[in-house]
Amino acid sequence: MSRDLAVALALARKDALAELRGRVATGTTLFFGALVLLLFGFALGPDADRLRQAAPGLLWLAIVFAGLLAVGRLHESETEDGALEQLSLYPVGRHALYAGKALAGFVAMLVLGAVLLPVMALLYGVDLASALAPLALVLVLGAAGFAAVATCYAALTVRMRSRELLLPLLVLPVVAPLLLAAVKATAGALGGDPFGELGAWLALLAAFAVLMLVAGAATYRFALED
Amino acid sequence: MPTTIFLAPPRRALEAPSAADVHDLARLFGRSAALAGITLAVEPGRCIALLGPNGAGKTTLLRVLATLLRPTYGTARVDGLDVTTNGAQVRERVAFLSHATGLYGDLTARENLAFAATMLGLERAEARQRIPEVLDAVGLRSAADRRVAVFSAGMRRRLAIGRTILGRPSLVLLDEPHAALDADGQALVGRLLAGWREVGVTTLVASHHADLLGDVVDGSVTLANGLVTEIAGQGVHGVTGAGARTDTGPGELTPLRGAAGS
Repeated sequence: MSRDLAVALALARKDALAELRGRVATGTTLFFGALVLLLFGFALGPDADRLRQAAPGLLWLAIVFAGLLAVGRLHESETEDGALEQLSLYPVGRHALYAGKALAGFVAMLVLGAVLLPVMALLYGVDLASALAPLALVLVLGAAGFAAVATCYAALTVRMRSRELLLPLLVLPVVAPLLLAAVKATAGALGGDPFGELGAWLALLAAFAVLMLVAGAATYRFALED
Repeated sequence: MPTTIFLAPPRRALEAPSAADVHDLARLFGRSAALAGITLAVEPGRCIALLGPNGAGKTTLLRVLATLLRPTYGTARVDGLDVTTNGAQVRERVAFLSHATGLYGDLTARENLAFAATMLGLERAEARQRIPEVLDAVGLRSAADRRVAVFSAGMRRRLAIGRTILGRPSLVLLDEPHAALDADGQALVGRLLAGWREVGVTTLVASHHADLLGDVVDGSVTLANGLVTEIAGQGVHGVTGAGARTDTGPGELTPLRGAAGS
């Protein structure tokens, strides 16, 4: 195993362990995502067709809002007793640290998506059974792109006092194309892709994820430096 | 406590004539100078004390050498490598014990060291062998599988010291290593300093308490208001007094006074 890969896996494993042991935060984030879906449902009223139509957009808004909390928290754990400073003292490439943090964020987003997808189906009366494979692909690509962006900005804002405010302000404009593509792809997957657009939206999601991962790996060191 | 752990030689022998050297080094925070232009060189294998009151510049000097802070003016090098342009190579040689322990409360002591071992590039077999040794050495074997969140400040400090041993560095930078430690812990620091000197590791120890360092120290540098005021003993050379800076004199800078952690 290469050194960079070992570093990235160790960092992601450490974050996962810490998250699992601090179950309150994980549970709260999942509950928050479900609550957003529930409240959106209340806001749109009882019209079943309207809810089904809005479901892809509301699902991704819930994933993104809850994802901001999850990825932000992964970096907040590094502020505990100088951990981020210690992390930057290790003789490892900054891109490997980024990869580890982004991997942890990606897994957190996958868990969020895996929980919120059935919640959305239940609340809005959406049938997932016929579209599980394309939905999984949308979720994986969307989670990768979001984690790639949010990881970088979370590192940048983690030492700031108003980080909870700044993180969404910085991340949301950048992930707008991802949100659009993920919503369109989810709608396409749920509706049987009548216009044959699903492939194009998936390609856009993949391109976004790759671009943001490369940019994040190249710029993460600036977030750690003095 | 066993002492063999202290005899592990550094993974990389220093090659330059100076383990660490700074020239005309200034570090400003706004218009205030934590370091106002100092010039020093430390010989390899020496144990050097950095003395002085709060706000003298001790911590800032260590943080610059550890690559955590960039010099505002002047240069700082470790084993001949500039800390600004060769940060990655410098970090391969340096271990830094700061005021904060940098430990993860949700992980156990053993898991914290295992994580550090991976980050420091230890092979799995080496890590498996050294982690119990390190836990023994810092007196935490019985608490190895307890979460660090329940540790006392002294236990956390011991574990952070253990992490410093783990990577077998060539240059060790210790910032107030005796802080939060009981008498046993302070004796551990003394044994550690002696052991490192024995195997050729260079140590720079910032402390308010020269008496706690004992006779392990080869030489000392006293700082005040960001300037070197005295150099004593062996193994360290430099320029003392105000006016060490030559391009923008310290008269233009306001030294930090009473800054926490100097």
